[in-house]
Amino acid sequence: MNMLRVWPIVCEFGIGAVLCIVGIWCGLRGGYLDLKIAEDRRLLVTLVAGYLLMLVLMCVFTFWAPFWANGDSV
Amino acid sequence: MIAQAIGGNLDYAVMLGYFVAVMGFGLYFGRYTTTTKDFFFGGQRFSWWLIAFSCVATVVGSYSFIKYSAAGFRYGICSTQSYLNDWFWMPILVLIWLPIIYYNRITSVPEYLEKRFDRKTRIAATVIILFYIVGYIGINLITLGRTLETLLGWQVMTGAIITAVAVALYVYIGGQTAVIMTDLVQGFILLIAGLGLFGAAIYHFGGFGNFWALLPQDHKFAFSDFAAPPKFSFVGIYAQDGLANTGALMLMHQGFILRFLSLKSVKDSRRMVVCWILVLAPLAAVATSCGGWIAKALVNSGELVTEPGDSFVKAAHFLCAPGVFGFVLAALTAALMSTADSLINAVSAIFVNDIWKPYVKPDSPDKHYLRVARITSLVAAGLGLALVPVFMKDTIYGAHSMFTAAVTPPVLMAILLGITWKRYSPAAAFATIVGGAILIGLSFIWPDALVGPFDFGMGPDSYKFMRALFGLLAAGTLGVSVTWLTKPKPDSALKGLVAGTQKEAMRRFKGGEPNRRPGSKARLRVKIDRDISEENTIILPQAALETMAAEPGDLLYASHIRWWYGGLRSVHVKAGPPCDCQDGGLVRISPEDAATAHFSDGQEVVVEKII
Repeated sequence: MNMLRVWPIVCEFGIGAVLCIVGIWCGLRGGYLDLKIAEDRRLLVTLVAGYLLMLVLMCVFTFWAPFWANGDSV
Repeated sequence: MIAQAIGGNLDYAVMLGYFVAVMGFGLYFGRYTTTTKDFFFGGQRFSWWLIAFSCVATVVGSYSFIKYSAAGFRYGICSTQSYLNDWFWMPILVLIWLPIIYYNRITSVPEYLEKRFDRKTRIAATVIILFYIVGYIGINLITLGRTLETLLGWQVMTGAIITAVAVALYVYIGGQTAVIMTDLVQGFILLIAGLGLFGAAIYHFGGFGNFWALLPQDHKFAFSDFAAPPKFSFVGIYAQDGLANTGALMLMHQGFILRFLSLKSVKDSRRMVVCWILVLAPLAAVATSCGGWIAKALVNSGELVTEPGDSFVKAAHFLCAPGVFGFVLAALTAALMSTADSLINAVSAIFVNDIWKPYVKPDSPDKHYLRVARITSLVAAGLGLALVPVFMKDTIYGAHSMFTAAVTPPVLMAILLGITWKRYSPAAAFATIVGGAILIGLSFIWPDALVGPFDFGMGPDSYKFMRALFGLLAAGTLGVSVTWLTKPKPDSALKGLVAGTQKEAMRRFKGGEPNRRPGSKARLRVKIDRDISEENTIILPQAALETMAAEPGDLLYASHIRWWYGGLRSVHVKAGPPCDCQDGGLVRISPEDAATAHFSDGQEVVVEKII
């Protein structure tokens, strides 16, 4: 595996995870993000799902799509 | 750049027609602007979808099509990196920053910094933010000047002056409402044009697979190499764009702050941000970059010869029929106008709220501030124009990157530490902003000594990107160090201004305990009632209050039944005591509130609870 292609994902999603955790933690502190409220639970799920979606997208275009040989295999 | 003008008369007619239509559209909405609240925040009444589209139009500047297509031509699909790293800032934006500024009714970043720290921090931030925004206007104007030079053979300055005058004029008259409404249209147009171009290319090549096969393999990766090439390495782009620029857009860009504050509620901000960052931004990434990918594929198939800087225009010219090409050019114009208008309005907001009101003429009538705001809009456009010759020496990508990397880190770091860390002291915030700016300034004199250690072995070519990393670390280190040596503000002075106290800000905003019980919207008929004049209160039947799970004193929002008005005809009111009226389908509203919302007697409206 070419680590020069892996480090960007580790770096972006690693620092990104720290930023997300800081945001969510600061929301939970003091009860502004209240997990007893359905709307807030949905927001938390959306935040995590968005993060995972971006991660999957980046992995597809790092480990798979660049190696599609040509049009036939798409 | 290509030497002669391309495109035909039909293209220019379409472009000119678009230009005139957008200006007319903007000027029409001048009728909704009668106070500074309207001029800066559009009356704080708009729906999430409208603001999401207008945010995309603002993010996609005129430089975007040229800059990202050039990067796409040179480096491939990794040119989309800049648009795909926004999500990580979202929790900080929607859970900390937005509730703080919205519920505290903060009108600008410097105002927040004074409330959170002190006056000298506010002054330092005002200077840097004004410099940042005016510079941004200059970058946008030079890009359109260069594009019009390519298309029409005009001098760069001529194109820049014409567009600056047009944009300044509709901001002058319509303010934020004109900005939002024109940006909505422009957001649609630039997405349709960019994605339409991509669709046309796929059709031309006979399918996505054939297009993909025509790209070199190193053009098919989501990220560039970690530390190569120096002018487009992952770490350089990430530091400059993913951290400094995106952070600045979310937290310190006055244009976005005004846009967020134009929303009808903080709840709508959550939907807006999800739609903007997760749906529209990736589409915008494709729309702005695809010109370069298409040009590369056309070059590889032997159908086109182009330079990276011309790749968008040449690919569009190659693929589009006359007239359609003009529409694509109109999208370029749209991108310019939609960014420049927000920035001009932002300069005006900071000048009025942070300089004129507190220091020059306090306690004047609102009409006076509105006049000053309008004049400032014109001056801001003029200042942006004055910077055009400065940025002409560099490439657009280089000028933009250098500028954001150099200017944003100190204020961004001060805001980030300020909203997340109670211990962060006023002296530390001042040191972060002023000391950080000085250190960044010194990095231009001794780049090897200061930025060199952070260049990941890429050398001086990477400094304009890596300066952002140096700036963030230098400002952050200063802030943390000074905090431990100085006294923080007492907790009682920080209520509602830092993470963990957002609910306090909500209470202050409402003037009571927030009501977050889930409820539905109620549909009622308007009855204008002079007895409740000047009270900003509406009287509802008990059944309607129960539908909304609302109580007397709750903040409500009444709007036109047509959702696609996006809140243009709406008003915020307080729920009064329930009426025991015979007709349960009526909502009684004061003549002033009815006039604000453009409601008439007997009209059906939708009422919902805010908090």
